[in-house]
Amino acid sequence: MQLKKSYINISKVTALAIIASNSLYAENYVSVEFLQYNENDNRVAVSAPSFSTSYDIGTDYNIKADFVHDAVSGATPSWQPDSNSGASSRDNSGDYQYKNQEFTEARNAGSVMLTTRFENRDELYTGFDYSRESDFDSKAISAEYMHYTDKSHNQSVNIGVSYSFNELLAYQYDSGSGASQKEESNSLNIQAGISQVLNDHSALKVEGFTIIDDGYLTNPHANVVRNNNTNNQKLVTENRPDKRTAYGVNLKYITLLNDDMSYKVNYRFYADDWDINSHTIDNDIYYKMNKQLTFGVGLRYYIQSEANFYNENKDFFTNEEYASSDERLSDFDALTYKTSIDFKQNDKISYNLGGEFYSQSTGLDASMVTLGLKYKF
Amino acid sequence: MIKVLLLALSVSLFMGCSLVKEVKPWEKETLAKPIMQFGGLHPEVTKFESHVYFSKEASRGGSGVAGGGCGCN
Repeated sequence: MQLKKSYINISKVTALAIIASNSLYAENYVSVEFLQYNENDNRVAVSAPSFSTSYDIGTDYNIKADFVHDAVSGATPSWQPDSNSGASSRDNSGDYQYKNQEFTEARNAGSVMLTTRFENRDELYTGFDYSRESDFDSKAISAEYMHYTDKSHNQSVNIGVSYSFNELLAYQYDSGSGASQKEESNSLNIQAGISQVLNDHSALKVEGFTIIDDGYLTNPHANVVRNNNTNNQKLVTENRPDKRTAYGVNLKYITLLNDDMSYKVNYRFYADDWDINSHTIDNDIYYKMNKQLTFGVGLRYYIQSEANFYNENKDFFTNEEYASSDERLSDFDALTYKTSIDFKQNDKISYNLGGEFYSQSTGLDASMVTLGLKYKF
Repeated sequence: MIKVLLLALSVSLFMGCSLVKEVKPWEKETLAKPIMQFGGLHPEVTKFESHVYFSKEASRGGSGVAGGGCGCN
């Protein structure tokens, strides 16, 4: 009986650790997920199968690994020569159109994370991520430490840092030769926060973060028009500053509305020295309908201001150092409608099906469907 | 930046002063439910979502330090 009571307490302490730190949910499983993502106007389509596994090594270690393959096809909008106006590629005459530019791409990405639990149940997460495409490679290392500040493990603080090394092939549109050259960028991400159990049915997490990007940050596939309607007009690759410093704060709150329904809200504020500010509020409700079925709905709202070197007008740019017409740097807002259903066949096997619809004020609409299977062992 | 941090600190202190109730380990059954995880029911799906937003929006961060770059942005 005493043994059973101890076991229950250990389980609940583990549960607390999960809530207070938002750490890795400690369990052994393998899961496969499939994502199908489609944009309107025959833009980007992505098919992405993924594999993920988590394994506890004793009580002090957990290792988690995942892999995803993205098969990307479609088109992305950029300034292009208007074929109807007589302009040819890389021509300095004729007219230009903001239209879709077709492409295909494949991306393989994976990550490994080791969780180490210490005697006081503090946790250290160390990770390695990689991502590889035909013209882009990224490798990243990360570490994060989570420390409980009280005996009941109701409060924890965490601090983490990651550093990524990126290499890309940059095509200069105006070079005329189609040649590319290797460019580099790197990113430093520092994050610190506090998690607090508020009562027996709600918890809060507050985190601050800063991100410093350095190197070649230009999108080599995006063009701008300079000196339009002059003798010196030209279509060239956009140019962005080679440094970007961002900071922000993230607040998460989760509570149980009744025995079977939870509500989670996440607010993020972001700002950077390109003059982009954004606000994100993300809401999710999960309803456990019975022992097997859990239903979820969610709504996310996002709004951002435009970068100080962005303009969509082809008559705008002349000889400015920095210039971009990439609509992702424009001011817009976006809504995401989310729904999901989970079916738990038994204690080991569960299935999930999710659908999302994303709509930007730029005119971009996208749908996302996920289908997954998880096996616990 | 300082204003935002002060606001976050104030909220934390306010919570600490008035809304926090000590919860004993045996009172945490509710908090252990799968529907009570900050990362959602399926972290893998959350990772998909984050990647989509990363590729279509100009801001990022706040969801952990792990993760690498991508040519999509």
